[in-house]
Amino acid sequence: MTERLGSLVEVLSASPTLAIGLTLGAFFAGNWVFARMGRPLWLPPVVLAAVMLSATIAILSLDYARYQDGARWLTVLLGPATVALGIPLYQQMHHIRALWRPILCTLPVAATLAAVYAVVIAWALGATPEVLASLAPKSVTAPIAIGITEQLGGSVPLMMGGLLITGVVATLFVDLLARLLPVKDERILGFALGVNGHAIGTVRAFEISHTAGAFASLGMGLTGVFTALILPLVFRL
Amino acid sequence: MPMLRGFLILVLFFLFGEALRLVFLLPVSGGVLGMIGMTLTLMVKGSVSDSLAAASQGLISVLVLLIMPGVVGVFFTADQFSGQWLAVAVALLVGTFLSVLTTLLLMKCLVQGRNRSQTND
Repeated sequence: MTERLGSLVEVLSASPTLAIGLTLGAFFAGNWVFARMGRPLWLPPVVLAAVMLSATIAILSLDYARYQDGARWLTVLLGPATVALGIPLYQQMHHIRALWRPILCTLPVAATLAAVYAVVIAWALGATPEVLASLAPKSVTAPIAIGITEQLGGSVPLMMGGLLITGVVATLFVDLLARLLPVKDERILGFALGVNGHAIGTVRAFEISHTAGAFASLGMGLTGVFTALILPLVFRL
Repeated sequence: MPMLRGFLILVLFFLFGEALRLVFLLPVSGGVLGMIGMTLTLMVKGSVSDSLAAASQGLISVLVLLIMPGVVGVFFTADQFSGQWLAVAVALLVGTFLSVLTTLLLMKCLVQGRNRSQTND
């Protein structure tokens, strides 16, 4: 019986449906647990879902590479999804036009520092060059960050982990600092969420408002483009 | 059906972005190039079709689902970086705190400065 169950996973994982089913299941389970916990800001559904998904993959003793292969059916959608961010961007263009100067002044500084702070701190604490290369694109949206990390010679899984943590803590810190500073302008909050917290920050910004979401998309897009152009040059030095 | 039509447009823009990236050897992903192309096209056109709006909203709402498979990877490569976790954790936490603080302060100052100069005009 156990033998047959073992081979069951083997057979089912030959098609991508298992990976897709597991990911979707974890996504909904994560959202459900999140709602049941009273929507805690420090534990977003993506973390809950990722932990549950990892546990399930481990319990089923499913090969991670195999899972990744099947889940590609979902991850390919990241490309069109990134394009989709252009639509709220266009819809909020009048807000963005009104603030184009502050945005263009802040972006290069903020995007550069987002990478520099992390790399300098990790370097001071003795991280290897591979780890540094994986941390550098931590505020960049996943599809671009994967490209940057590969170019710099970092580890993609470590980078994805860093990306996740950065997204979550950026969301927390934006909420915290918005209250402390205080910043109430949702355009600024959205922009900060997108620049520092990429897709996770953008998801949070869309919860605040459509305008915040558009500014987050803008911040995320600009940070991605800027970092992709600058980091490979800086790392060569 | 209408949503699929919108999806087709998104896919076409993505492919266009990828083509640009490959032809001109750009370090930016096809998705971002497609996003820029999409925004510019809409600005010229002046309106968004319902099908495109529906497809984009659908995809944006499941963005988290799409990054999950990548996120899971960190749990399976953890031991590869044992001994460096402190550096990584501190860098991410403190680094992100500082960069969020920088962004908010810069934007706040610049936006306020702008508003002040506008009222002076």
